[in-house]
Amino acid sequence: MSHGAPLRAFLVVTTAVAMTTEAAAELRFVDVAAEMGVTTRTWCGREEKPHILESNGTGLALFDYDGDGDLDLYLVNGWRLEGAEIAERGRDALYRNRGDGTFEEVTAAAGLGQDGWGSGVAVGDADGDGLPDLLVTNFGPDLLYRNRGDGTFEQVPDSPSIDGWSAGAVFFDADRDGRNDLLIGGYIDCTLGEVLTARPELAWQGLRVMAGPFGLEGLANRYWHNEGGGRFREATSEAGLSDPGLYYSFGILAADLDGDDDVDVYVANDSNPNYLYRNDGGGRFQEMGLWSGAALDHGGNAQAGMGIAHGDVNGDGRLDILVTNFWKDASTLYLNHGDLVFEDSTSAWGLHAPTFLPLSWGAALADLDADGDLDGFVANGHIYPQADLAPAAETRFRQRNLLLENVGSHFVDRTSTAGPGLEIEESSRGLAVGDWDGDGDLDLAISNMDAVPTLLRNDSTPRGAWLLVDAPAASRVTVEAGGARQTRHWTAGGSYLSASDRRHHFGLGAAERIDRLRLRTEAGRDIELRDLPVDRVLVARSLR
Amino acid sequence: MKAIVRVTAVLLTLGALPGLAQETPKPVVQAYEALADTILALRQAESAFVRSVLDGHLHAARALREKGDWEGVAAQMALFANEGDNAIGGVRKRLLDGGHHFNAEEEEQGIYEPGYVIVTKKAKRKMLEALTALRQAEDEAGRVAAWSDFKELARELLSVE
Repeated sequence: MSHGAPLRAFLVVTTAVAMTTEAAAELRFVDVAAEMGVTTRTWCGREEKPHILESNGTGLALFDYDGDGDLDLYLVNGWRLEGAEIAERGRDALYRNRGDGTFEEVTAAAGLGQDGWGSGVAVGDADGDGLPDLLVTNFGPDLLYRNRGDGTFEQVPDSPSIDGWSAGAVFFDADRDGRNDLLIGGYIDCTLGEVLTARPELAWQGLRVMAGPFGLEGLANRYWHNEGGGRFREATSEAGLSDPGLYYSFGILAADLDGDDDVDVYVANDSNPNYLYRNDGGGRFQEMGLWSGAALDHGGNAQAGMGIAHGDVNGDGRLDILVTNFWKDASTLYLNHGDLVFEDSTSAWGLHAPTFLPLSWGAALADLDADGDLDGFVANGHIYPQADLAPAAETRFRQRNLLLENVGSHFVDRTSTAGPGLEIEESSRGLAVGDWDGDGDLDLAISNMDAVPTLLRNDSTPRGAWLLVDAPAASRVTVEAGGARQTRHWTAGGSYLSASDRRHHFGLGAAERIDRLRLRTEAGRDIELRDLPVDRVLVARSLR
Repeated sequence: MKAIVRVTAVLLTLGALPGLAQETPKPVVQAYEALADTILALRQAESAFVRSVLDGHLHAARALREKGDWEGVAAQMALFANEGDNAIGGVRKRLLDGGHHFNAEEEEQGIYEPGYVIVTKKAKRKMLEALTALRQAEDEAGRVAAWSDFKELARELLSVE
């Protein structure tokens, strides 16, 4: 779980926008992409999507690349095709947060803007200098960019890479040696020639649509151990992170799922059982998905795993998992009962009905109304544009995203009352969460197929008190306030092809003070602080 | 493979015969018979093979049960319910991609998962319930009860030819 220098000191930085209340919040989101100056359109093949690669979409990341305290935005881009020709090689884009409510595009100045057929992005400190580096997965070679610390990046030669269609990726310290290792998921083994010449061949609802993933060969996931000095060595089998079934992997989450202070790995597989790799503490993994109950749904069915949301839904201190799935198949909530016993609790938490018809991708569990529990957000969009011509399918290519309020014992669908931001219909894919406007609530960035992203500013009112803890080396942060206890865990990855802000956000409801805050260091030591103010950013750096 | 060679050889011979054949020549029928034997034997061989995989998981579970290793028992139960591990799943994926469905008709009826040979959907669900019950059991009696449920299901599946 190390992310640069070990913790040595504790510093409290304050920014305060108090708006605490006991009244129930009305969740409201507004798309401000244009207002904020984000205009890059991200491409993914042709309009009719004859090849499954063209259903992949692209991811995005919210992270502070320049260390100025606010969140910047990275957009992965694909290619636009016309017939069997490449019409445009979309370039990735980096937007710097000016801190005044707008972004400026700084791609070229930052040394970025690769024009491979982009897929996903992972953020992590690859070289141990404390700065966030970028790994961009592609249909083609994956690229690692080192953050120079002066607002620019340099491409690392011989980047760890799956030279094919790679999807999710994650940096994490598997063996607790203080360096971030890397796992990249592979989806399908195909060539550009096959993509360019593809025709819709599969019969669906009386129409012809793209084929796959059934019938197509999967591409193995690969893992690299960080040797230090920016060098990586492939160690997939050695670490036990092999992909024997060549399953179609999309979202990847690195997190301590069994509470033993090392990082485990969860992989959402499309149309195959999901993987759960348990870490033995030394960076050796054993795949335990079926045993854990988190590989299949309650009926024993493998689903079309796309994205992963994670967080403690029921307040028991353990990380639960929400996996997004295909159209006419619900997203699955696996409640974590400890000792890696997961239980499909989708229906009990009211998630079956609202997630059954949408085709879902990026997802997040985050306290969007700052009332002290984790709400849900799911990005939706079908893979077949032909869905618009098939009314019996009860679906559309462009769909509304889904907002789910946690009311303590279950989720309630608030999509229809959450303002204009939730009325937008796109074929959405990636999702990243973070407070980009620095007002204490969590905003959302969503990538859309062949369109500009949606940037949902959180305008929910009234909103509870909050706390943002910037403690990259803490494995766990626990806050007690207003008679409630909440825990956030060190995690990386999740969602779909995207990277959210890594700081820990707490909604505190009506609490006026924080009674106790406890940080678990990577060495397993707890550091405790008492009687802290709310509506603050707490920065914990170099604390041993 | 031998049968395929024989059929090919007979068909090549037929091509050289003068006039029209009024009936399928006996050697062709015999070759097809041999080929049918091979096809059906392969199906039986696949069934026997998967049965042996399941039998292996059941035996392993029993041995671990004797040692009191309930987590190990649970792992073997999971593998039995899923008709093998992820490597076996990969092979099954290849077979499905190649158009081979062992219980095609029963898959249509929702009785079997695609490509599954022995474990029905219903049995799989019950086995996974037993697995969860075992892992969540608070005492030995609960674990033994869950294990018994699983054993009964496994016995039923393996006893049906």
